[in-house]
Amino acid sequence: MKNDIPLFLLNTPSSLPLKGGGGKINLSYIDKGIESFAGVLKEGYTQWELAAKKGFFHDLDNRIKVVFWLFFIIIISLKKELLPELGIFFTVFTLVVLSRVNLVKFYKKIFFLGFFFGFLIALPSALNVISHGKVLIPVITLSKAYDFWVYHIPEVIGFTGEGISVVTMLTLRVLNSLSVSFLILYTTPFPEIIKALKVLKVPDTFLIIISLAYKYIFIFARIVTDMYLAKKSRVVGAVNRVEARNWVAGRIAFLFKKTQLKCDDVFKAMIGRGFSGEIKLYRYQKITGRDWVSGFFLLTVGVLFLWV
Amino acid sequence: MEIIRAERVHYNYYNRFPAVIDVSLDINKGEKFAIIGSNGSGKSTLLQILTGLLFPSQGSVFFHTYELSEKSLKEKDFLRFFREKVGFVFQDSDIQLFCPTVLDELLFGPLQLGLKKNEALERANEIMQMLKIENLKDRPSYMLSGGEKKRVAIGSVLTMNPEVLLLDEPTSGLDPKTQVFLLELILALNEAGKTIVISTHDLSLVDELQARVAVLSEEHRIEKIGSTEEILKDEDLLLRVNLIHEHVHYHGQTAHTHIHSHYLFHKH
Repeated sequence: MKNDIPLFLLNTPSSLPLKGGGGKINLSYIDKGIESFAGVLKEGYTQWELAAKKGFFHDLDNRIKVVFWLFFIIIISLKKELLPELGIFFTVFTLVVLSRVNLVKFYKKIFFLGFFFGFLIALPSALNVISHGKVLIPVITLSKAYDFWVYHIPEVIGFTGEGISVVTMLTLRVLNSLSVSFLILYTTPFPEIIKALKVLKVPDTFLIIISLAYKYIFIFARIVTDMYLAKKSRVVGAVNRVEARNWVAGRIAFLFKKTQLKCDDVFKAMIGRGFSGEIKLYRYQKITGRDWVSGFFLLTVGVLFLWV
Repeated sequence: MEIIRAERVHYNYYNRFPAVIDVSLDINKGEKFAIIGSNGSGKSTLLQILTGLLFPSQGSVFFHTYELSEKSLKEKDFLRFFREKVGFVFQDSDIQLFCPTVLDELLFGPLQLGLKKNEALERANEIMQMLKIENLKDRPSYMLSGGEKKRVAIGSVLTMNPEVLLLDEPTSGLDPKTQVFLLELILALNEAGKTIVISTHDLSLVDELQARVAVLSEEHRIEKIGSTEEILKDEDLLLRVNLIHEHVHYHGQTAHTHIHSHYLFHKH
């Protein structure tokens, strides 16, 4: 072996002394993307850790939690007035406080997602171009009104009172649905949610797909971050955008291949342990008196909101 | 002459789970250094800290006299200076191989260093010859066996001609023949002047290498640093860090207990 060592390996590795002053390397969009992937991993651990704590909702039976979640999501979509939606918002807020979930972190996420997927998406519908009504906040004034085909562009374009109330309603619905869902996610370990869904007769195929997808996100995120570290260890300077894009494209192909192989292996492992297409659970814990009382209370609150 | 120094290094995963606690060590130029410990003791994490891929939450790491930090490795000159001198071979070769073919993999490093194409190709050919992988030249990495992947992963780092070579669990999962090949390669590279740092729980590899050894405990701390002989003779230490265990078996009707390692201690 000693005689096989190429001559260049016997030379001193670098003739370049460290000079300094060569400038800094900016974090590329790839680095930022990979950092977000690492965030997914961290988030997963945080969810697991948060869900394992003690609190009002943490201690509640998972089946009751899942029924509560489905029931409230239906109520949120059925209600057409602002007041009950506001009532639901404060009820969930109270449950979050009782469950001792970190309010700032919780609502930061809810408002961030609610702003994008509720408010911003619905906002254009408040314009009088889309919803009719009296303009409360004018935005643009044109020289005259225009009509073409089935469209009418009024002279004054602005937000209508009716439009604003629809946007508020939609945003509140999104915020409420998000807070109910996140309350469950923050207080229930993911496998328990799957178990509860199984008890509620959700089809096995659906559950297998959700659990494998959930697990795969973490495997995928870990592979990507590890590969990035491996690349980082061999990159000696700034990488230009073309190279970065090529690397990402190459890695996507590799991940696709690896996913395919992993998928086969996982399925073989499941078959090897007797899987026959049906998920079997060990005996579920009994629902306690405390769970029944809490469940009844939540049901009453829900019915009250339906009534109002 | 000291080439890498870690001073009271701590590292936690997700700011929660400690992986390395209060680790201090020095690695000298041209030496063989092994970090040993049981699974989960923090060997791989420590190796990644020494190679500037992870940054300690407390403490410092120095390469020559320069501190390795997120800030220093964002400076173009220092990044180049450091990465061309320090090569890291990951435990999982799959994640290390990211180019379309084996040849591209070997060319990636030297082209990064700014070598001319023909010079880089010459290096790649020489390395392929040394590692006996010329026949794999045009294959994609996912079509290689475990041993072949490991050879390519090492080759991809060697074409950069690093001064220090860090190998994470280099022999894990390899057949005996490839293990012997790797061991001979590591020894030859060390004789050629490379500083070798490995992490492993394979005591036979440590014995063959005759390296200076740092033992990590299951509590993620350095238990002891010493010569191979000194460490491998210390049965209490190896038992404490879970690298050997007590084994009971029967000779006829008589139960027999002895310390058991899959390599070293099997005395009756």
